[in-house]
Amino acid sequence: MKTIINIIKKRRSVRNYKDKKVERKIMEELILAGTWAPSGSNIQSWKFVIVDNNKIKEKIDTFSPGLMGNPPNLIVICYDKKLAYEKGGKLGRDELGKMDICMAAQNIMLLATEKEISTCPVKSFDDNALKKILKLPDYIDPVLIVTLGYSDKQPSPPNRKSVDKVSFYNEWGRLI
Amino acid sequence: MGEININNQKEFFKLISYMVTSARGCIDEPKIYGSFRLLDSICKLYNILEKKKLIEDDKLKEVINKIEDNKYNSFKNKDKFINSLDMIILDLVDLMD
Repeated sequence: MKTIINIIKKRRSVRNYKDKKVERKIMEELILAGTWAPSGSNIQSWKFVIVDNNKIKEKIDTFSPGLMGNPPNLIVICYDKKLAYEKGGKLGRDELGKMDICMAAQNIMLLATEKEISTCPVKSFDDNALKKILKLPDYIDPVLIVTLGYSDKQPSPPNRKSVDKVSFYNEWGRLI
Repeated sequence: MGEININNQKEFFKLISYMVTSARGCIDEPKIYGSFRLLDSICKLYNILEKKKLIEDDKLKEVINKIEDNKYNSFKNKDKFINSLDMIILDLVDLMD
């Protein structure tokens, strides 16, 4: 059953993809989900670069050690640090803009999971190389890559710390 | 950098780029990523050499397969990762005889 909690639990970081691209129409639906994430001060400094061109993808792959399994599609989520600073000050530029991207990425990955599309968030890449490959202006920084594609290899779920080990009621130390 | 003649050596070029980018990344990344990137580089290098028929050794291939199977444990199960590496090192010692 596709309840939200089941989709959350079903999402895995996949590093093994089939050679089949995700349609552009679906990619745009995923981006739409991303744009409905919360945004600090509603600045929405995020920018999404969808990569489905093999030559560009190969270049990104070469300078992204964390990118594995030859994914057919990428979304490089960037943010406009100039806009984030103008509207959100130092907090907007240094924190909110990047936090927004994390929440947008989660929306994208959860909707993808519902559509039986596998994903993996990747942070290990060279910022400067990506900026050059994607021809990003100076004020746009890449923050996170989400790889996407179809896979028949679903990794087993990793261990999670139990709720009572990570939560407190009202004060630190008051365990659930 | 302009176009350089990397077509014949594209896989080597990609490996070098991967290793240089990793060297830069590992300065700021979690320490365990360094171990992973080294092992991943070994696998990539072996695959290139094998594809170009520059290496053929069943016993070494077994070791590479073990490395390949174990490398993702660096993220999932650190104890298992360390134990497997210790075993692989002993395998390599045997190969020197």
